[in-house]
Amino acid sequence: MKIHDRYKGYIFILPAFLLLVGILGFPALAAILQSFNLMWVSKPSFTVSSYVNLMKDKEFLGTLLNTMIFVSVTVSFHLLIGMGVALLLNQEIKRRHLFRVIAILPWTMPDVIGGLIWKFIFDTLPGFVNAVLIRGKFLTEPIDFLGTPLLSFLCFIFAEVWRGYPFVMLILLAGLQAIPRQQYEAGAIDGASTIQNFFYITLPNLKYMVVIAVILDTIWECRLFGMVYSMTGGGPGYSSQVLSLLTYKHYFQFFNTPYAASIAVVLAVFMLIISIPYLRMTMRREI
Amino acid sequence: MKGGLKMVKRIYWVCLILMVLCLSLMGTVGRAQEVKISYSDWQLAQDIWGRSLREAIAEFERLNPGIKVEPEPVALAQRDVKFTTAIRAGSGPDVFALDVNPVKQYIKEGWVKDLTPFIEKEGGQQWLSDFYPRTLMPVTEDNKVFGVPKNTVAMVMVYNSQLFKEAGIKSTPKNWKEFRDVCKKLTKATKPGGPVDQWGVAFVLAKACFDLRFSVVLRGFGGDFLTPDWKQSALNTPEAKEAFNYVVDLILKDKVMPPGVAQVDCNEARRHLAFKRTAMKIGTMWSITEVSGFNPDLRGWEVLEMFPIPQKEGTKSKIHSTLYQKSIFMNPNTKHPEAAWKLIKFLTDKKQMEKWFVDNNMLSCRKSVNDTYGPILQSKYASVVKKEIEYADFLPLIPQWPECLEAFRVNLQAAIAKQKTPDQALKDAHEQINAILARK
Repeated sequence: MKIHDRYKGYIFILPAFLLLVGILGFPALAAILQSFNLMWVSKPSFTVSSYVNLMKDKEFLGTLLNTMIFVSVTVSFHLLIGMGVALLLNQEIKRRHLFRVIAILPWTMPDVIGGLIWKFIFDTLPGFVNAVLIRGKFLTEPIDFLGTPLLSFLCFIFAEVWRGYPFVMLILLAGLQAIPRQQYEAGAIDGASTIQNFFYITLPNLKYMVVIAVILDTIWECRLFGMVYSMTGGGPGYSSQVLSLLTYKHYFQFFNTPYAASIAVVLAVFMLIISIPYLRMTMRREI
Repeated sequence: MKGGLKMVKRIYWVCLILMVLCLSLMGTVGRAQEVKISYSDWQLAQDIWGRSLREAIAEFERLNPGIKVEPEPVALAQRDVKFTTAIRAGSGPDVFALDVNPVKQYIKEGWVKDLTPFIEKEGGQQWLSDFYPRTLMPVTEDNKVFGVPKNTVAMVMVYNSQLFKEAGIKSTPKNWKEFRDVCKKLTKATKPGGPVDQWGVAFVLAKACFDLRFSVVLRGFGGDFLTPDWKQSALNTPEAKEAFNYVVDLILKDKVMPPGVAQVDCNEARRHLAFKRTAMKIGTMWSITEVSGFNPDLRGWEVLEMFPIPQKEGTKSKIHSTLYQKSIFMNPNTKHPEAAWKLIKFLTDKKQMEKWFVDNNMLSCRKSVNDTYGPILQSKYASVVKKEIEYADFLPLIPQWPECLEAFRVNLQAAIAKQKTPDQALKDAHEQINAILARK
């Protein structure tokens, strides 16, 4: 191969690479520099005080714990529900395509709109759930779903599970459809039950897709902002606050730029660590 | 003959093209001479206030033919996000409005233009003398004026006089004990045998508009958020503790506020009052317009009345209410500072302040308006609020204030949600605020 042919490939990807650098790389670098009080601040001077304060901040540590619990519970339910719905939609049933469209609908809703709708549903006085329970004589007084710390957090998780499961479902459904039918036929010949089929044929074939779905979903949920902002605002107190909301508060409400940037950097590093298995897997497959 | 017709057609087309070119050139020249500036205000996004502002802008354009103003409504919750992002990027509206809360931060970060040179041209101190001195405090730093005050009001208690009458309450409460008793009388089931569906009061405990409302309770007990020099938290005083426990008890023990009060923002509080779910709210002049707008059947202008914030008996503190102020600012990135200054001057002049009162029931920052304008002198609401201005003060005018306030609010919510005891919540708020203020 001639030397100039080798570089042709790089030339072709150069515009896309420059675009990525401009849209992703530059803001990431700016955020890192801001976290060290070096860029776009009123008095630039290198300092690590933001990170030091972060480690001592009870609110940050509490929010970090909230985020970890939220992400692990939500992603787990996404996987369970997504797998279940994918298995159902992979069956040869009438109007399968219509059911697939219906199953995807929650994911098509912008997360802010979803948050507002669920806020109305769980609202105390005019809320839908309370109205049904009171009119059905199950309750005499409304439940303060969004004003009680644990309930508020659970309602937020419920809303996000509802909205986010189609993403995992789509990935797994694509994986299910790629499983060769002959394997199920061979299993049938050997007398395998449905559960045995699932554990010995379906799951092993879906291994990579499950890992991809979990990693991408985890990254997605770590970044979630619209749903929590519009539904609970992180309250009551800090009970449903996640890191993205804390970053927003410090940046846009308290104008605490370096501190906000440091939270964003910590979150980004966390997501980078999570994505390492995914990157290794995709690179291994390419080789 | 044919040749002649062709010639005529050619001349016709040439004339038409020349005419079109001339017209477009004239338009371009006209547009080039016309200055376009933008004005952004959260009240542009609201029906009644927005209409009033658009009328004012139309009048300004009529008086200044070379200037075109582009109104840019912005939601209150998104205002600072939008403004600060745009200004940091070198753009943003040429002229914009702010309440007092973030002004010191904007000045510190250089997000507002120094208007002192413009004011000097108008006459300097002579021009400023018509404004109440206190209204210039939030917009002034190091003897430089960064904004022009527009409206100022004090917070009071707004109540439904009809519900008071029905409950047999003959006089409005003067102190917090009487206030509690009145709340209890007004909390009841309106349908016999039914659940409680009317409550005494709803306080704003959600983030939006919390600062103006809750602060009056603290001050009404003789306490405050910070020490007078704004350098330390004042939440460790007996007065602050009493006020904090009082509010928590009103919600948890007396149950005189609607369920879900932790989620109540200013609009929700207005809706509660509009639909008679509550009989009182902390508000001010704009409450009458806003509440009436939610429910015209309430006949708000007839039934809604005001009384001063209750005060703890024996308290020595003169201040028991909070001042609200809206001021107009110029973007340091503006390409048309002269046109922008003209707009600022227009929006804050005497005539516009008088229109603003007629349209929106808002008092002015100008003495010449509040003290002489007939409709203000005759207004039953203005008489209460004007008197209270003397007993009201701004919230701390420091850049860290939004963060301090949020630390207090979340701890109050934690106490109401029973995550912490009131004492622990107040102690945590005190420590967190001191930590914020100690940061450089």
